[in-house]
Amino acid sequence: MEQLKNTAKTALKALASVGAEKAKCDVGYSITHEFNVDGGEFSLFRTLFDKHLVLSAIREGKKGTVRQNRYDEETVKALAKSCLETAESAVPDEAWDVAPAAEPRNFVYGALSSDNEKLFARCKELMQDVKERHPKILMEQMIVTHKEVRSVHANSNGVLYGEHCGYYEVSLMYSSHEGEKASSFFGSGFTVYDLDRPFMECGSVAKDFADVEKQIETSSVEGKFEGVMLLPPSALSSFLGYLLSNFAGDAALLQGTSPWKDALGQSVADTSITLSASPLDDRIVCGERITDDGFLAENYDIIRDGVLRQFMLSLYVSNKTGNKRALNGSYSLVMKEGERSLDEIVAGIERGIVVGRFSGGNPSSNGDFSGVAKNSFLIEKGKVTKALSETMISGNLGDMLKHVTGISRERVADGSTVLPYAAFGGITVSGK
Amino acid sequence: MLRDLISDKTACFADGVHTELRAQTNLTRGVSMMNGNLTGNVRNENTGVSARVYADGVYGFSSTAEYSDEAVKAVLKAASENAAFMAAHAGKNKSMLPALPCGSVSTAYDLNDPEQRTYIDFAKALDAYIEAHCPKLLARVISVRADSMEKRIAVSNGCHSHSVMPRSYVYVFMTAATPEGKPVELYEVMGGYGTFDQNFKDVSDCYEAVDRLYLRILEKACGVYAEAGEKTVILGGILPGMLAHEAVGHTVEADLVLGGSVAGYNLNKQVASELVSLTDYAHTAFGSKVPLPIYVDDEGTKAEDALIIEKGILRGYMNNRESAEHFGVSPCGNARAYLFSDEPLIRMRNTCILPGTSKLEEMIASVEDGYYFLDTNNGQADTTGEFMFGVTGGYEIKNGKLGRPILDTTISGVAFEMLKTVDMVSDEVVWASSGMCGKKQPMPVGMGGPALRCKVTVGGK
Repeated sequence: MEQLKNTAKTALKALASVGAEKAKCDVGYSITHEFNVDGGEFSLFRTLFDKHLVLSAIREGKKGTVRQNRYDEETVKALAKSCLETAESAVPDEAWDVAPAAEPRNFVYGALSSDNEKLFARCKELMQDVKERHPKILMEQMIVTHKEVRSVHANSNGVLYGEHCGYYEVSLMYSSHEGEKASSFFGSGFTVYDLDRPFMECGSVAKDFADVEKQIETSSVEGKFEGVMLLPPSALSSFLGYLLSNFAGDAALLQGTSPWKDALGQSVADTSITLSASPLDDRIVCGERITDDGFLAENYDIIRDGVLRQFMLSLYVSNKTGNKRALNGSYSLVMKEGERSLDEIVAGIERGIVVGRFSGGNPSSNGDFSGVAKNSFLIEKGKVTKALSETMISGNLGDMLKHVTGISRERVADGSTVLPYAAFGGITVSGK
Repeated sequence: MLRDLISDKTACFADGVHTELRAQTNLTRGVSMMNGNLTGNVRNENTGVSARVYADGVYGFSSTAEYSDEAVKAVLKAASENAAFMAAHAGKNKSMLPALPCGSVSTAYDLNDPEQRTYIDFAKALDAYIEAHCPKLLARVISVRADSMEKRIAVSNGCHSHSVMPRSYVYVFMTAATPEGKPVELYEVMGGYGTFDQNFKDVSDCYEAVDRLYLRILEKACGVYAEAGEKTVILGGILPGMLAHEAVGHTVEADLVLGGSVAGYNLNKQVASELVSLTDYAHTAFGSKVPLPIYVDDEGTKAEDALIIEKGILRGYMNNRESAEHFGVSPCGNARAYLFSDEPLIRMRNTCILPGTSKLEEMIASVEDGYYFLDTNNGQADTTGEFMFGVTGGYEIKNGKLGRPILDTTISGVAFEMLKTVDMVSDEVVWASSGMCGKKQPMPVGMGGPALRCKVTVGGK
């Protein structure tokens, strides 16, 4: 870590010597161990040694950024020069800045080294569990990784933060098969600090396998109806990603296309919705500690009791628009749990659809979306009935939040988010 | 140019196993301008070396960001150790892959790498033009991007390859408001294979495309929602290329076939109308260079065209060496890696539906009540062949004539069913190459096709 800090200091000096008025440096290296399964069989073991050096310089309001994956002394000097040349070509903009001075901090956490024998054993155990408990499932691809990262963030105001962390990440893609019939593929994933639990017990893996096994025989809905869309946590995460990017993110606010641009402090959602970006939550694995702008990350509410509290803005767009910057730059979303169980929510739905995965075009900046409801089930008179295919859904992201019909008591923590099941009314469902 | 530190390391390759050694540099230059604000100004270089060893039916791989004689030897050693770990824990009792002769192939040349000022000045000039000539926009974004890959490869089959692949593009995104004040978007991409200075001589060369885009976004702002349901449509613009890539191409990648894709049950069966033929081209199609030519893949296989669909019959898959051995065919060079630290995966190169004989005008005239879809902002497909494309631009067709423009919608279908409804194919291919295909790693790919008359499900509102 000391070597990285010295490299960062050298880089900042080099940037200053070529004329940078403000500057920042991110430098680090990582070691990755990864096992792969393809087509149901182990296929690959790889080990990666990587480095990064990212320099940003501001001079007379003009900013440039350069990246390279090495940081020997010669490279640092050359890159600092290139960084200034890049900045000098830019358009002046007083909104560019770096974080103010702060006390130095070091963060050390997580699984700092990989136990490859145990990691492989957990992979093998999952493959065996799938074979025994879900024989129709074919693991199209499994990618299991341990990553250790050492990094330093420093800037010309005296910020100097170090971070050393490690984690295990599991990504699964699979489908179920019976003869020539097959389900749609589905993906599950989670991130953990240790290998104490079988992978089948992590995130929503067990339920996901069970659901996909029921999706071999499918049919389309007949005609078209307006009903309720029930989103499991992984699909909710995708919809929230679209929503926040189009309504609360940098580009939407800077371009002025956000439907929420004048809604700060106003009701934008049902009062049951409280949503935060919380990388420091205990259930988030390797959440952001230091923002891209060089601030220490803090948790914050985006929506509290249905009221928009904060946009998700970088320092630059904050300065451009006059809105507060976000206290972290993550999408480590945590949604407050509801009062009813998932079963109670389903029982209250007259007609609707469970959407396991949304395959759609990028929603318009006004929030309109339409796409195919993948890995989905029909809900009729309070019961989940048949699995669906070739069924489309459409609606509006902003309207959805105002038509919440249920937030579940149960939440899934997969290391990246902590989210419940959520049901939204006013969704158009159409068949072939 | 990347120094050659790998050719002489073939002496370090272990006997009796397949070994690949690859040194690589990826360069990216990017500028983004949003409503006149320069929001992105980045130069990125990524260099390193990797080795992959195949033994007993499993692979070991290692990479490092260093590029020196010691680093090359270190990754060879680590990859061999990883292969040995896998062989001991999950070996499949398989023999070595057959040695396919390839020889030495060099298509590399010195790439001009313009200063960052070139990209910024171009973006500023184009932004000034749009600001002056497109007054009714709600927002405008210009993205200028150039990237390149340079690879040196040495493989135990005796292959030595040195290649470069430069691309450069200018993207213009426009947002206008509907009469109700809701924002709508459209974008245009210019550019293709080649460095920025090769593709963009003068900013005024872009004005015609910008003017056309402006007219279309104003039209779209007054557009209507498409009607939901199964419709007869003309898929034009880059949509047939998207169909070739997403809905068919992915299902015939041999790793996905082995993972259970629908194509596994349809070899040598009718999967499309007789008017449909589809090939994944290596470097040349219809007598011209394809958008992103590949001459040798990253396993050291000489690149050739992969025939996929011939007159509606599924004839083959895209393979790497291992899957080709499994299916008893010859590989055509589809194993590609994005960064030095990525292992080669089965990837498309330039996937294209072959042109037919119809004229676009007569195709539109033949539709009584349907749509002419032109623009897309993304597409996804399932291993079942079920696909979905976001459609961002197009027109109604009423009584054989183009009608009102449409707002964003989604189209979907099942590839091998939908392709059987194709009853007219135009005589002109439209290629696209600006996107990145996502499959564990990103990858630049070309995709193309002629306009198709077919039936799809429209999402509507």
